[in-house]
Amino acid sequence: MKTKLFSVFAAISAALLIYGTYQGLFVAPTEETMGDVQRIFYCHVPAASTGFTLFFINFLASIVYLWKRSPKADALAVTAAEVGVVFCSVVLITGPIWARYAWGVWWSPWDMRLNTTLMLWLLYVSYLVLRRSSTGGATSMLASALAIFAFLDVPIVYMANRWFKTHHPSPMIGTPNLDPQMQHVLFINMIAFFVFGGLITWFRYELERGTQKINTAYVRQAAGSSAMLLLPAMFLAAPPHVNPHAYLWAGYLVTWGIYLSYLLFLMNKLGKLKKEAAELKAS
Amino acid sequence: MTASTMSMSITRLTWINVTKDLRLEWRSRDVFNSMMFFALVVVVVFSFAFEREDSRPVMGGLIWIAFLFSTTMALNQSWARELRNGVLDAYRVSPAPAEALFLGKCLGNFILIMLLECLMSPLFVIFYNLSSVGPLWQLAMIALLGTWALVVNGTFFAAMSIRTRNRELMLPLLLLPISIPAVISMVTATSQVLTGEGAPVVQMKFLAGFCVIFTTACFLLFETVLNAE
Repeated sequence: MKTKLFSVFAAISAALLIYGTYQGLFVAPTEETMGDVQRIFYCHVPAASTGFTLFFINFLASIVYLWKRSPKADALAVTAAEVGVVFCSVVLITGPIWARYAWGVWWSPWDMRLNTTLMLWLLYVSYLVLRRSSTGGATSMLASALAIFAFLDVPIVYMANRWFKTHHPSPMIGTPNLDPQMQHVLFINMIAFFVFGGLITWFRYELERGTQKINTAYVRQAAGSSAMLLLPAMFLAAPPHVNPHAYLWAGYLVTWGIYLSYLLFLMNKLGKLKKEAAELKAS
Repeated sequence: MTASTMSMSITRLTWINVTKDLRLEWRSRDVFNSMMFFALVVVVVFSFAFEREDSRPVMGGLIWIAFLFSTTMALNQSWARELRNGVLDAYRVSPAPAEALFLGKCLGNFILIMLLECLMSPLFVIFYNLSSVGPLWQLAMIALLGTWALVVNGTFFAAMSIRTRNRELMLPLLLLPISIPAVISMVTATSQVLTGEGAPVVQMKFLAGFCVIFTTACFLLFETVLNAE
């Protein structure tokens, strides 16, 4: 039953993603000043919304864990943080690709919007590192406390955004400034990314529950390290003036590269888990 | 036990913790000496690395980097001391409230770091030929608020990181990302006072808000971290 539901969910997610990407790349109108590079917007913004939602879920699950001590809440917390880091990596890589063309620089060091997103990414990577390096039952307790601290930074950062200057385009969703057709494409992509995010989260959650049940320690790579490997290559590959399509394709390729490598990582984990379960059964 | 005697005992316990930490430090001086020497080396190395006519715009960053790293060193040691002879386990079984232990540690570290800052500040003036355009009381306020922001989170995360496998390595990994908003505002505020440009009061209010929020969170969650098993 669960497997069937999962397959249906996966099929819907794949269809939505293909349709959304097609719409974003070919159907949505070309933006006047930025040209085709603006199409990165359709995978940048939905990834950001999904990532931040997952961080919020991590916060809620951590509170529930501290309150009820349920292993399910703990599994959900670690899942949400890890998948959130993957989505946040996509945001942090597609953003600079767009910015290099639109602003002429990869990164603007005093821009609060950029810094805060990077900070969130760092916080949740440190959360994953803490989970990896602590031992026994203390892991979940310590990690839940850290998750609450990490989320406390978010409103502070949000206020800081209002006080300090930023170059980042302000949110346009639902405002009349955004072309209705663009709005429509963004909406489709938003749904597609949320469904996709939900799907991976579910998959990862089942894996985590399996791990909890087998109760074996795994060496867990901090997610997003694959993204970090891609980052330096980006700086080598871009001469100062190339056509905007190069940036657009780079944005989409990186996005899918990250998702696919994360899925491969999960598949690998699943394989290991199955092997372990089989060994346990045999012994 | 009535409420007044209860609060009395928390104050007293905190005081006992503070004096115990400071007395131990006074007798051995191992943390203070290494921290002081480390900060001195950082100041000297930076003075070679940055050759500028007017050092004011970058000084905010330099000062706080030196203090941040020395603080991390000191905080790691402050809990490591409690691990010997199972002192931490004794705390966990004792009826004394965990908050008193935490507050005592915080205050002890705070006094230590403030002392370091008072001793280091003249060196910045000498090595970088520094003088402030803005009023000095603002610098003192930023130092107090900034140090508290670092110490309160640092003491909390040091308690968390000694529970992990790679103890000393964990603290900077946890403390630095959490403190980024505070570090940004104290560096900006210090630079603004030194150069006399901008409005440091806004940054100081932000820093004060940060201190209030995170001090509360530390107090609420410390017992969980201490007893995590």
